[in-house]
Amino acid sequence: MKKNIYRPIEAVIEDVITETPAIKTFVLRPKEDFSFRTGQFVEMTVPGVGEGPFTPSSNPKIKDRFDLTVMNVGCITSKLHKMKPGESLGIRGPYGKGYPLDTFKGKDILIVGGGVGLAPLRSLLFSLFNDIDDYNKVVLRCGARTPNDIVYKNVIPEWAKTKKTDIVISVDVGEPSWKGKVGLVTTILNDLPVNLKNAVGIVCGPPIMMKFVTLKLLDLGFKPKDIYLSMEKNMSCGLGKCGHCRVGKFYACKDGPVFTYEELKDIHDIWD
Amino acid sequence: MDTYFLKQEDLPRFYERISQNFELFVPVKVESSFKVKCEYGFSLPTEDYLLKKYPEANKEEIVFNEYRSVEPVRAFFTHFKEDICSYFKGNGGLEEKPVAICGVKNCDLFALKILDYVFLGGNEEDPAYKARRENALIVASDCTAFKEVCFCRAFEIDPFACEGFDFNLSPISNGYLLDVATKKAKLIGDSMMDMLTPASFGQLSGRSAKRDSVVSRIDEHLEYHKIPKKEALQDIVVSGFNSPVWNEQMKTCVECGGCIFICDTCHCFLLFDEKEGENAKRMRVWDGCLLKNFSTVAGGANPLKSRYMRLRNRYMKKFDFFVSNLGFQGCCGCGRCIDVCPGKIDIRYILRKLYEEKHIPSN
Repeated sequence: MKKNIYRPIEAVIEDVITETPAIKTFVLRPKEDFSFRTGQFVEMTVPGVGEGPFTPSSNPKIKDRFDLTVMNVGCITSKLHKMKPGESLGIRGPYGKGYPLDTFKGKDILIVGGGVGLAPLRSLLFSLFNDIDDYNKVVLRCGARTPNDIVYKNVIPEWAKTKKTDIVISVDVGEPSWKGKVGLVTTILNDLPVNLKNAVGIVCGPPIMMKFVTLKLLDLGFKPKDIYLSMEKNMSCGLGKCGHCRVGKFYACKDGPVFTYEELKDIHDIWD
Repeated sequence: MDTYFLKQEDLPRFYERISQNFELFVPVKVESSFKVKCEYGFSLPTEDYLLKKYPEANKEEIVFNEYRSVEPVRAFFTHFKEDICSYFKGNGGLEEKPVAICGVKNCDLFALKILDYVFLGGNEEDPAYKARRENALIVASDCTAFKEVCFCRAFEIDPFACEGFDFNLSPISNGYLLDVATKKAKLIGDSMMDMLTPASFGQLSGRSAKRDSVVSRIDEHLEYHKIPKKEALQDIVVSGFNSPVWNEQMKTCVECGGCIFICDTCHCFLLFDEKEGENAKRMRVWDGCLLKNFSTVAGGANPLKSRYMRLRNRYMKKFDFFVSNLGFQGCCGCGRCIDVCPGKIDIRYILRKLYEEKHIPSN
């Protein structure tokens, strides 16, 4: 039988972890061979409902299962959030190019995440931790609306114990029990412990957050070629055929979803 | 490539022979509501041609189409709405009778180059498109006339084909010249040698003269429209990003999607899922960037929220994206979008405006 590029493979939900009131992590066990590189995305199908693009949030080194951390915002994700362990989803992919880890070696790596944008960044962090000796330093700065909206909040303190790793979280709106920083994520980007001459900045979050973080990083002295952005587009096929995710002369699905700001800077309306 | 003479009265036998192995589509003439009048005195035909299933067509209504049909040729290779697969089991793949399409014009063949790039290029081939494309028999033919909206020659696409087909028919006195271009065509040609005679020198030069005459008439017609040359297209759409023409032209858009669905080179589609009982299946339906929610993401944000942005996006795709990625524009000059638009939005006018804004700034 000929391979059908639009047909998903089956993956069974093994566990569901509630991260925040709106965000859950689904642990999936694919029934066929599946692996991904960090930053690549999959098309995830809720059977009979539809599919959408999501980036795995787990360590790519784990081969028999992977995680998707998903916010409940639309038609597919609201159905997904009602699903339970034992039920099946569909998976196509992985698609896209992912993060160029080789380029990051020997450098200070600044990672800036916003909200559920931390999902693909968690996979990146795990990948960096796998070979932490290859990198100079890992600096994570992440923002969330309120302390309740911080994904992975129970495990972040564990990550902070990894050598060469520095983590700060800020929330837009605090609450009495919150002892951390308060303010937009751009306010915790001053006095970064990174050597700008040998650093890359990796940003993932809502478009408005990526815009202001990018401007801030440029202001701090990061070069456009050293800023990596994840473009949020409505990839339908994942293969560069359906036309939905065009960004200038690129397709986000095939040429991205991770782009350098150098590649995007002359394209109109990239933050919309 | 071999060229033969086929007598007028033998054309039905040619069709009959093809229909033995293929689902054959043939041109029939229809009165159409698409009537773009010529404003400056050229007398141009306003009838249209449809490609009809051969067994369903009355033999008397089958004609030689003088110019391209109403439907875009891509409709034979990706269907408007189709089952694409079931999951997680079943679906033995595609079993379709191969199609033979008569009356395909050179604009359509140009469009197929773009569709081939989309569906056969890149990391993966689209299985349904590939099967249909490989199995299809394309019987192209020369244009002997043109509609007001035809503008192929503006992009140096000729109204006759020299490649990209299996057979090509060129009308000459008392019959047709038949080019046999591929192995697939030769197999059929070999089986009907009784009706074919090698083309004479006189017949071939007669065809050249006819072709030249159509070319010069289109060129004369296009002088009126002042469409920028293909080399200028990318430059003018990129520099015209903030042009007032997008807003001005969008005032009459009713968002019907006619332009994108009748377009020979538009290829965008949407995958969606349906559930019937226990079996879920995946469907593919044509989509296009003139439709409101083409680029809406799950959270509700829409990068193309206004109509003028969507119109502009279509031009950016055709004249910037494709020029960058494929080396030529994603438009074949068939003019179908002009024909179909109830708001009289005219691609020729927009391109001319963009060119003038860049090169002939008004004071």
